[in-house]
Amino acid sequence: MDPQTQMDISNLSDADKQDLSKILQNEAQKTNIQQNVHQLNDICFKKCVTSRPISGTLDRSEEACAQNCVERWMDTQFSVLKKLESMQK
Amino acid sequence: MSLFGGSGSGSSSSKSSAEVKASIVQQLQQESAMSNARLLIEKINENCFDACVPAPGSSMSSQESGCLSSCMDKYIQMWNITSKTYIARVGQESKRMGGAASL
Repeated sequence: MDPQTQMDISNLSDADKQDLSKILQNEAQKTNIQQNVHQLNDICFKKCVTSRPISGTLDRSEEACAQNCVERWMDTQFSVLKKLESMQK
Repeated sequence: MSLFGGSGSGSSSSKSSAEVKASIVQQLQQESAMSNARLLIEKINENCFDACVPAPGSSMSSQESGCLSSCMDKYIQMWNITSKTYIARVGQESKRMGGAASL
């Protein structure tokens, strides 16, 4: 960040500071979700698009596979968490 | 919003609080869009190269180029499905756990 911007920060009112921190939190959450989607899509594309792409649209089975892939990935995550939780007891 | 971020706006000597806030938010959103685009490009490149260029030749064949363009379309379509399904599921789960938990 350039010194100009750093100087400017001292001009922020308390209300704007609070506002900014809220906006920052929202952006961080959005970015987090986006990154998860990128990660998941990477995994699911590899699993669901197995033949050489010829047409530019997903066929019905690929579409269903994509949805199932996300749901089962989430199921997997939950069962891993549950298992770990039970091991803590 | 430009894909590769705009050039910095001219800096005035003293900005008001609202102006500072606006410029920080703008910068934040630009960086965020940039990192999102970068990740998408990286993943498409990796997946479509794998899918369409199994044996790299001395030049890109027309078949390979055609495959790449289909592949990119498919990847983006799938991204939208993944995003919708993921967000719906996360919403469902947080509701199930009492609604207080957020994403």
